[in-house]
Amino acid sequence: MELTGLNRTDSATAGQGYYSAGQSLRLRRLSSRVSNQNATPHFDWGSSREGGEDGNEEEPQNVRELPMPFGLRKAVRQVQQMRIPVASRRMRQSRALKRFSAEAKNALALVTLWRRAIHQIGGHFGGGVQSYFVFLRFLVVLNFLSFLLIAAFVLIPGIVFHSLDLSSSVPQLPNSTNITGKEECMVYDPNPGALTVFYTYFLDLLSGTGFMEYSYMFYGYYNNTLVVANGFSYNIPLAYLLTASFYFIFCFICIIVRMGGVARVAVTTGGGAARSYSMMVFTGWDYGLQGDRATKLKKNNIRYQLQVDLEEERIKLKTQSQTLLQTVGLYSLRAFLNLVVIGLIIGAFFGITLATRYSQETDKTQNGILDLLLEYLPSIVITASNFVVPFLCDQIALLEKHSPSTTIILALLRAVFLRLVSLGVLLATLWLNITCNSKPDECIPCGYNYGQYQCWETRVGQEMYRLALFDFLTTIAVLILVEFPRRMVVDNCSWKLIKWVGRQEFLVPPNVLGLVYAQTVVWTGTLFCPLLPLVNTIKLIIIFYCKKVTLFHNCRPATKTFRSTSSNIVFFLVLMFGWILATTVLIYSIAELHPSFGCGPFRFSSTMWSTIPNSFQGLSNTTQEFLRYVGSQAFSIPLFIFSCVLLCYVAAVASVYGKSVALLRTQLQLEGRDKQFLVKQIEELTQKLGIPKHDRDPMVLSHGGAPWEQQQDGHS
Amino acid sequence: MGGTTSQLPKDLLSEYQELTFLTKQEILLAHKRFSDFTREGRNSPSPRVPMEKILTLPELKSNPFRERICQVFSTSDVKDGSLTFEDFLDLLSAFSDSATLEIKSHYAFRIFDFDDDGTLDGGDLEKLVNCLTGDTDDTRLTQEEMRQLISNILEESDIDKDGTVNLSEFQHVISRSPDFVSSFKIVL
Repeated sequence: MELTGLNRTDSATAGQGYYSAGQSLRLRRLSSRVSNQNATPHFDWGSSREGGEDGNEEEPQNVRELPMPFGLRKAVRQVQQMRIPVASRRMRQSRALKRFSAEAKNALALVTLWRRAIHQIGGHFGGGVQSYFVFLRFLVVLNFLSFLLIAAFVLIPGIVFHSLDLSSSVPQLPNSTNITGKEECMVYDPNPGALTVFYTYFLDLLSGTGFMEYSYMFYGYYNNTLVVANGFSYNIPLAYLLTASFYFIFCFICIIVRMGGVARVAVTTGGGAARSYSMMVFTGWDYGLQGDRATKLKKNNIRYQLQVDLEEERIKLKTQSQTLLQTVGLYSLRAFLNLVVIGLIIGAFFGITLATRYSQETDKTQNGILDLLLEYLPSIVITASNFVVPFLCDQIALLEKHSPSTTIILALLRAVFLRLVSLGVLLATLWLNITCNSKPDECIPCGYNYGQYQCWETRVGQEMYRLALFDFLTTIAVLILVEFPRRMVVDNCSWKLIKWVGRQEFLVPPNVLGLVYAQTVVWTGTLFCPLLPLVNTIKLIIIFYCKKVTLFHNCRPATKTFRSTSSNIVFFLVLMFGWILATTVLIYSIAELHPSFGCGPFRFSSTMWSTIPNSFQGLSNTTQEFLRYVGSQAFSIPLFIFSCVLLCYVAAVASVYGKSVALLRTQLQLEGRDKQFLVKQIEELTQKLGIPKHDRDPMVLSHGGAPWEQQQDGHS
Repeated sequence: MGGTTSQLPKDLLSEYQELTFLTKQEILLAHKRFSDFTREGRNSPSPRVPMEKILTLPELKSNPFRERICQVFSTSDVKDGSLTFEDFLDLLSAFSDSATLEIKSHYAFRIFDFDDDGTLDGGDLEKLVNCLTGDTDDTRLTQEEMRQLISNILEESDIDKDGTVNLSEFQHVISRSPDFVSSFKIVL
């Protein structure tokens, strides 16, 4: 049996609406012949069932999908159930499976974090702001799971081995190292400090030095131990390295899975005309909005959009022909402004380099606020440039006269570039210092800049920790010092200028960029500061509640619509850029840089990577052979060729689908024209045959099918 | 129908679950909210709540399409927009998280079809735009803007060029919008 009669093609019979009690009786008489032209979506009561279990599994889902009133759906289901003589086993199984998945979805919905809060936010501020909070929740879960991973494989074994004192006080040496003449490099004195003033604990917490430096927080505390006890062996350096790598792969998989879901929606909808009027009118309203204030603002928003677009179209029609001089002028203006933007960004990078170098090189002798400021100098410069440069770029973008959507994308790309590359510049400066690019002779004894860094990994970890913490403090400070006072001023002061500036608007792109930047910092720093994901989880949870409070108290809904779905992809793409940056840093540190002699699990190895070949010897022979085969060219080249072939196949299938969609669209247009032609013919014929006027109402003719079918309908 | 809180019997609950897109929690919540309206008049087994009371729900109170929504989902003979509990469930099911795009676009079309003739013609589109922008004198578009807008809409979406937008053309436009399913949602 097929639900052949189920057609939602054309319109209802004139004047009667879609359903009434009387009509349901009429539906029973209709056979499937007249289905195509007939108005109401109806169910084919009279058709016979053609065996086959393939239709049966679809039944329960299909009943829900019938756009009929409840009573009719119930009747349909009863009829279906009467027709099934024996519930086949496959149908029972599928029904049980569906029930199980429904229960599982219920349970999952209960467990989802902050479900009610996010729903409330969506109701009052729309889908765009809601997508920011959904993204925030995703990052919280990601960071928490990463922390569990790191805790299980690195932190807890470290704690266990420290407390059981299984680590020998003399560090173990791999057989093939030669450490003669390097005794001076092994000195590492983290200076835990005996009696210090109380407030230095607080300063140390903020800057990661002092009591925090030699703790589980940073790389330097973990030892180079290989524990063999009772047939159980645990190699801490190997665990550390593999956990870090697996953490990156885990994050990558999570992002790809999330992005895949979002991208699927975007690709199927084809990214159609973003500004089409029919789209704006038919899909513009957000039915989740509640409250008079929100709906009034949304209505204003829609009206504003429509008026602006109509105005733009009128202007475009008027100025169709722009003179050549004007076009050339516009493009040269845009080129010049782009150069200005690039100049600003390079200036910011230069400032960051200077600040980092100064901060790393000056001696921090006095403990105090000045030292704290000095240590935070790179973070301060980065955050300042992240505020100032995008603001200037926005002002410049106003002069460039692009269309609004292009302006938003450009602003986003510039801000992303600035943030991520400034982080990269900071890291590059640190690296150049560590490998003493400018003064090569300082690196000869130990392989790294021992004079400045007794334990350079911990220093890098501290720098990342400070960046993360400073970002958090800045967010909270902006909230307290800017947003709340702004609201109080706007609400209580009645100057026209203040009212025009108005309340804070919750801009989604800058906030999301902040999240992406923080996550990139965490990724870069985890190798050197294993507890950084935990810090980030706590930080993100606090930020969620703070942002929610400021949203409801201080912000007004956005005046410009923010397309949530297409921007979701941009958020995840930007997150991927951050991930790629962090991976580059990871690979470089593992493969190229010489670990410190004085601290950490990798002392006495020439690079961090060399732990793996060393432990490779410990595996059984067959495993070694297998791994050698997997890594060899005999395996990887066929694999590469195979994936290329797969990619070509998928691309070909996608292009075929695109072509068939275009073909079907033109076919639709042609059929429309055919229908118009036929309608005209019918009108002429009825005129010729002299059929009375009330029977040849063109509305009925064009939408209700042929007149004889209509009469049969009425008489049955 | 005695007591103050009438519970939903289990078989009814599972039937509702099978015939609508709502989850068990959503059905129970809907039942609770609906019983608040029927507390006064417990005369008939499937009481019919008048439209004015339904429109006091906070989720519908400020929606510009609230009357059309009630009229579309109402199965009453007198077309007064009153809803039984099953009509109410139909409403929530069409606006729920898991409803399909086809269901949502079908009901959206019916909501926008102000004169119930099965197509969106110029009059329907004008009323639709007025609902979206606000219906007072200073929030309406001018005549000229309205004319330009309607002609643009018809040019974009009327594929067979008959001067009206029918259901398939409407669904074709909707299918290209990625945000429709997430914005066409009312959750209690």
